[in-house]
Amino acid sequence: MSSISCTKLTLFTIGAIIIQFIGLSIFVFGFFPVKPTLSGHRFNDFLSMLVVPRVSNHQPATTMALQIKATLLFLPTALSCSSEIPPSYDRLIIMVIDGLPAEFVLGKKGQPPGKAFMEAMPYTQSLLAKCVGVGYHAIAAAPTVTMPRLKAMVSGAIGGFLDVAFNFNTQAYLDDNLLAQFFRSGQKMVMHGDDTWLKLFPGLFHRHDGVNSFFVKDTVQVDQNVSRHLNGELSRDDWDFLILHYLGLDHVGHTGGRNSVLMASKLSEMDEVVKMIHMNTLQNLQNGQGQTLLVIVSDHGMTENGNHGGSSYEETDSLALFISPKNHACNHALSNHNTVFQVDIAPTLALLFGVPIPKNNVGVLIPQMIDSMTDVQKLRALQLNSWQLFRLLQAQLPGLSCRNFPCDAFVTSSGHTISECKGSMEKLFCFLYLNAATAHDAWKAEVVTRSNSTEGYNNIVAAYHEFLSKASEWLSHKATDKPINLLLFGVAALITSCLILLRLVFVIHKDVSAGGTQDLGNYMKPWKSDEVFILFSIMILVISMGSSSMIEEEHYIWHFLTSTISLLFLRKAVQSFECDKAHGFLSSIKTTNNISGCQMGLLFLILCAGRILRGWHQGGVNWTNLPDISKWLEQADSHYINLIQIASCVMIIILGISVLYLMGSKTKVKMMIGSGLLMSGFLVLHHFMKHQDMSSSYNKDAIISIQIFYAILGITTVTAVLVLPWIMHIKTPETCSRQNFYISTSAPLVLKDSLYVVGCVYITSWCLLQLLLQQPINAMPVLLLFVQVLASMLTFSFSGSLHKQWVEVSCKML
Amino acid sequence: MSSSMDRRKSREKTTAKDASTIETPPPPQISASEAFIVNLVCVFGLAISFSIANKGYSFDLVSDPSHTLFFIWIIELPIVILLFSRYRQNPQQCTYLRAVGRGMLGVPVGALLNSLGAIALGAPVTFQYLPKTVNWSLMMSLLTIVPPSCVLGSSWADWRRIFAQTKASGSVEYLICLPAHGAVIGGWFGAWPMPLDWERPWQEWPISVSYGAIAGYLVGVVASCGFVLAHGRSQHVKRD
Repeated sequence: MSSISCTKLTLFTIGAIIIQFIGLSIFVFGFFPVKPTLSGHRFNDFLSMLVVPRVSNHQPATTMALQIKATLLFLPTALSCSSEIPPSYDRLIIMVIDGLPAEFVLGKKGQPPGKAFMEAMPYTQSLLAKCVGVGYHAIAAAPTVTMPRLKAMVSGAIGGFLDVAFNFNTQAYLDDNLLAQFFRSGQKMVMHGDDTWLKLFPGLFHRHDGVNSFFVKDTVQVDQNVSRHLNGELSRDDWDFLILHYLGLDHVGHTGGRNSVLMASKLSEMDEVVKMIHMNTLQNLQNGQGQTLLVIVSDHGMTENGNHGGSSYEETDSLALFISPKNHACNHALSNHNTVFQVDIAPTLALLFGVPIPKNNVGVLIPQMIDSMTDVQKLRALQLNSWQLFRLLQAQLPGLSCRNFPCDAFVTSSGHTISECKGSMEKLFCFLYLNAATAHDAWKAEVVTRSNSTEGYNNIVAAYHEFLSKASEWLSHKATDKPINLLLFGVAALITSCLILLRLVFVIHKDVSAGGTQDLGNYMKPWKSDEVFILFSIMILVISMGSSSMIEEEHYIWHFLTSTISLLFLRKAVQSFECDKAHGFLSSIKTTNNISGCQMGLLFLILCAGRILRGWHQGGVNWTNLPDISKWLEQADSHYINLIQIASCVMIIILGISVLYLMGSKTKVKMMIGSGLLMSGFLVLHHFMKHQDMSSSYNKDAIISIQIFYAILGITTVTAVLVLPWIMHIKTPETCSRQNFYISTSAPLVLKDSLYVVGCVYITSWCLLQLLLQQPINAMPVLLLFVQVLASMLTFSFSGSLHKQWVEVSCKML
Repeated sequence: MSSSMDRRKSREKTTAKDASTIETPPPPQISASEAFIVNLVCVFGLAISFSIANKGYSFDLVSDPSHTLFFIWIIELPIVILLFSRYRQNPQQCTYLRAVGRGMLGVPVGALLNSLGAIALGAPVTFQYLPKTVNWSLMMSLLTIVPPSCVLGSSWADWRRIFAQTKASGSVEYLICLPAHGAVIGGWFGAWPMPLDWERPWQEWPISVSYGAIAGYLVGVVASCGFVLAHGRSQHVKRD
């Protein structure tokens, strides 16, 4: 029997906990990496862009001075970059259809979309067929939740996973983005739809009407609130940039999944909107009011069940559909299955509208969209995009500066010597960038004599694209990349601390069982099966956390496990029932039988209460539509609900007070606490009587009564905690109940008794508080829960062990 | 650790000794081959009922659970009662017919207990599921409660020993105890896939639970055969 001293035990425990804490924080930092981003806006700092070295072929020896000279030579071009590409369009309409998978419009894997989808969106399909619109599968990055996706679309950056944490508490987006650029260039913006935009970009919109995405069941009103502005907005000409964000389709998905009956009608509603906008833009073109680009995007896709957030193909397959008055030369069979990334939308739009590309963009412009530009403009666009990516690369790779670039081969031969430079990423990027830039400069120098330079032009485009795709791939990979070592270290630390704690538990267990056998001998019953079951169920719970659907339906698992453990306790009670006829260890058979009978009754009560609790609400995701008791009651009459509410309040007061006095030992403190509870209980009751219909607004009186309730409850609980241990300490241990005899702990029994009272007070006051805060329909579950807790408390005060049940019972309602 | 285990074992031994001194009739014994035949007949009954449901009426547990379960229990009923009544305790005082009667009485009682357990664990209680629940609990009753009620009658001490403490002594008690526990535990495990969102037809109550229970029963049957065999060997050794 190895025993371990108390101080050692404490030290080990504290050490293990500290290790655990460190491991957890390391893991979190590793899992949510913070990437260096460039702050500020691109508008102001074109000058700083000149840091990017640009090499011309007039410059064979690369010395620092010459470099700087060369860059200064190109100063004018750099400064004039925004004027070099004129805006291709005058107005931009972005129509965001929340949660629309591109598959619905463009089909999947070269196949056209299903017949139902084709028929639901006839106008959009006709636009695609006529090559008026060009559609792309825009691959979204995880997490596929609205806010990070909107950020990605307007800034071209891939945010970390921590963005999800801010999804409900959206903050203004401060990094460089398209909207800020448009705003600075003096364009008027109008937004109708999801109010996430308003939270992200407060004050940027000339006019706006936000709708909330919180009421997921609403699939009609949420879109009508957007569409009702449409006619007015389209007839006005005081805006340059219109954002329409339709949430309805996402809501349809959340309520009914991909194949919901509402899906077809929702798609045709969207189609009507597209038709209306497109008709209007054509009209505007005829009236000479300028060209309008309509971009239909979706922020993310959805799974079969209509959920999103993960990184499966169904969720990331979002749509980017460009509809412009200009006809694109397109090969229909191919173009509808082009795949781009969602981040590519931002640089494309920036270049099309002649604003700087957002700084943190990792996307590459979509080549097909700039077809209408001249060759010079196209190359310029590519160059701008390359500059911007190069700057971002420099921020992430501090060693990336092509000043003392070792691979000189390109200057003379401009041949394909990638293999020489494969050594490091820096060298590779440098090589690719300089390769393209040199060729471009050479091409520009030959502008005058440009006669048959299409081949040279194609080479430059290819070189730029090579750099862009490599850099973009590397950057986006980097953004979601997690430092494996850090994660492994964190996990290792967690496991170590777990092992230490486990070892400690075993040591303590050994000590206790050794001590227990000396003191109690044969009185200790083997609790083996329950302990095994509890360990087993903890394992099952941990495993079930791995599956998302198990988490969604977690309450069923909790109910299942608690009921099973109650049944096991029942079996245990049966085991000791009448058991002592043969052994006769205890004073009399009758008391044992009474105790186990009581236990059986209480356990039965727990089981019944648990079953009613389970039937009260159908929670979770998949079975919420099944009938349950609360729905039935709500349909019946509000009168019954009020009756139940009042009855359960009265029951809780009576039970709470009686349990408080069950332990004998009537002291003044107990009286005081009891009266405090009683008073607050009556206040709640009074409140219920007075405000039977919840629809009426609360008046001042009600607020005052609730404030009094809070005060009394607070005072009662605080005094209970602070005063009780001292008062009870004066009492002799004789007042303690006989049942505690079974409990073999070293803690003084006095403490136990006072803890019992404190526990009672807390549970009762918690229940009263819940009664006040919850909807009236939930009054009964609170009562049942209270009954369950009290019953299990009594059961264990008889047999005394395994307080894990408490935790489980209280967890179940969460 | 090990010492406490030893102590526990020794205490169990004394308990067993006490019990054996009080119970006058020795636990009924049957040979391993006989036990094997009994188990085989029970399993055969299950198989027959499945094949009748499948071939004769072309439905199975998934397409029509309540009728399939009905077939199972109606075919198992005579087999189980008639078989296990042969191995009743103290056959001198208790006639064969009386044991059969006890078994018949055990059917509804066992069904009630099983259905209560299932409902406590979350089985649906709406009218739509009533026939399924009734048929399922009757089948469970035949797998768990009916055999011991034929054999043990109303001897509370034996019931408690076998079901609350899981201490079977003698080959017949192995035949009762292990398949019954297997069926219950199997049914418990069978309920696990039910909350998952796979949207398969067999996730409905009581299909997966029935499958689990039958699988657990079969495992219990195999285990009981093994135990009877081992028990017979040890008896043989002792007699030698």
